[in-house]
Amino acid sequence: MPEILSFSRNICTVVEQIGDDSMTSSCRLQDTLMDAYVEISVKIPDLEISGIKGRLERSVIGEKIDVEDAFKKIMGTRVGPGIRKIIRGFIGNSATEKQLAYMVEECCSGLILSFTKDHLKQIPKDPKKAKHAFENMVKANPRLYKSCAALSPGSPLVDNIEFD
Amino acid sequence: MEGGDFEMITFTRNKVVSVWRKDDDTLGVHGILEDDIYSLEIDVSLSLSQLEILSIAGKWNRAENSECRRAIPFLQEAVGFKMGEGFTQRVQKLIGRKSCRHLADMLLECCYRARDTARVIRWEAEKERRPDLSLDEVVSEQGDPSSGPIKDFQISSRKPLKRGAGDLPLSKKAMISGEMIIDLHVHTSPASPCSSASVGETIEEAKRIGLDGICLTDHNYVWTAAEVERLREKHDFLILRGNEITTDQGDVLVFGVEKEIEGIIELKELRQEVLKAGGFMILAHPFRGFLTFGVGQLGLTVEKAMERPLFEFVDAVEIMNSKVTEKENRFAAEVAEGLNLQVTGGSDAHAVSGVGIYATRFSDRIDNEIDLIRALKKGNYIPVAFREGMKKRS
Repeated sequence: MPEILSFSRNICTVVEQIGDDSMTSSCRLQDTLMDAYVEISVKIPDLEISGIKGRLERSVIGEKIDVEDAFKKIMGTRVGPGIRKIIRGFIGNSATEKQLAYMVEECCSGLILSFTKDHLKQIPKDPKKAKHAFENMVKANPRLYKSCAALSPGSPLVDNIEFD
Repeated sequence: MEGGDFEMITFTRNKVVSVWRKDDDTLGVHGILEDDIYSLEIDVSLSLSQLEILSIAGKWNRAENSECRRAIPFLQEAVGFKMGEGFTQRVQKLIGRKSCRHLADMLLECCYRARDTARVIRWEAEKERRPDLSLDEVVSEQGDPSSGPIKDFQISSRKPLKRGAGDLPLSKKAMISGEMIIDLHVHTSPASPCSSASVGETIEEAKRIGLDGICLTDHNYVWTAAEVERLREKHDFLILRGNEITTDQGDVLVFGVEKEIEGIIELKELRQEVLKAGGFMILAHPFRGFLTFGVGQLGLTVEKAMERPLFEFVDAVEIMNSKVTEKENRFAAEVAEGLNLQVTGGSDAHAVSGVGIYATRFSDRIDNEIDLIRALKKGNYIPVAFREGMKKRS
């Protein structure tokens, strides 16, 4: 029996550096039920959201959403820890608005991961040196300890680390 | 357009989720996450009728480090989970922390899409019987088609504020103590779902290590005066109440506000409420960075940070918080000093072992919540690394 798809989703998030002091992050979501685009602009170094726009191309949910209006309160907030809660709190609660909020979150995650990538690039390729680099990273930021399987007791990356 | 006019893409992430029907009551879901750092795949089977996870298989194609592979076996702990109230939180807490948050996010994405599929299948089945039934109706009547975390967030526990605890009885210990050390920032379970410590365990630990009091600052949860009074009597210990409120500009510890604050509030609006109530506001962990990099790496300077308008709307800044790095605490201290703002310390404990890592030493005696606010406004206090000092003393 052919296993034909009943549902499919594609989400693409792209982060771009625009000049020295600003970046944009855009998210395109296309699935069986909807098609939407969201883009945020942030100022560096505060990562303050200086622009946000979006459009709903297609949705099976018939509700009328003023996308710009839904995003209004997000302007001026900073992308950082806790931003997810702020986005969910400020963008409305309808099914479509929740999807738009999810896309803004994806934009924010992309931005954060783009900086994470820069940081990870500095880790040496040599396994011993890499282990040392991860150890130092965890020592500098205890929140990383036990934050995932790779950085929990039993993992060689945190062998030499003890926290109270 | 000239070639040089194009901007470089600095990061890309693609997520693909496909759902198909394996048999009458089983959905197969294949999820792929591919970005500059990670490449992973997940296969999940869910029952169509119950939306219960029947099996999970995951694999890394590329990862951040050589030990990320350790995360895969922990995925099995979500087998048997049913989608419904608390599902997202369980996955995030169990898989996100024990395994990997990227795997957890992708697992959730796969499960939400299975739920969407279940709705589409139901609509297809019912439209033969009810030709007028629109897909919109099916999706809408069951709420959000995808975002479980939001639902969980909205149903978070919220109790009506019954303040008026300013005249709570004295704690015996507080009565005999002149200088007092109080942990102003403590989370307990289940009031704060992110905490693993019960309030009883937290209080006993605070007593054991020699703190003079703690302030319960659970997220979106307000302890009633009666509850706190019972705890005070039971443990014979000074327990005060505050609230950690999420604003558009970050988290703020608020003391002495009678009104219930719902959802996310704008900092300016919160300031008005606090002023009206005669309360006090402390900006919590203002420069908490990201897991692998800090605000300093983005090029933020103390001078630039001092320009942030949010500092105009708070009374003090938390410069000792155990959930941020020493660098971030130091940065907060420099900014607060530059702005001549009062400074405090609080553990932000989410586990018993975290209580009292940092605290605030008050010169004034504090026996109740009125004393606390009076003392906070007076400014005779300093943040202290309490546990570290305790070790040195012993």
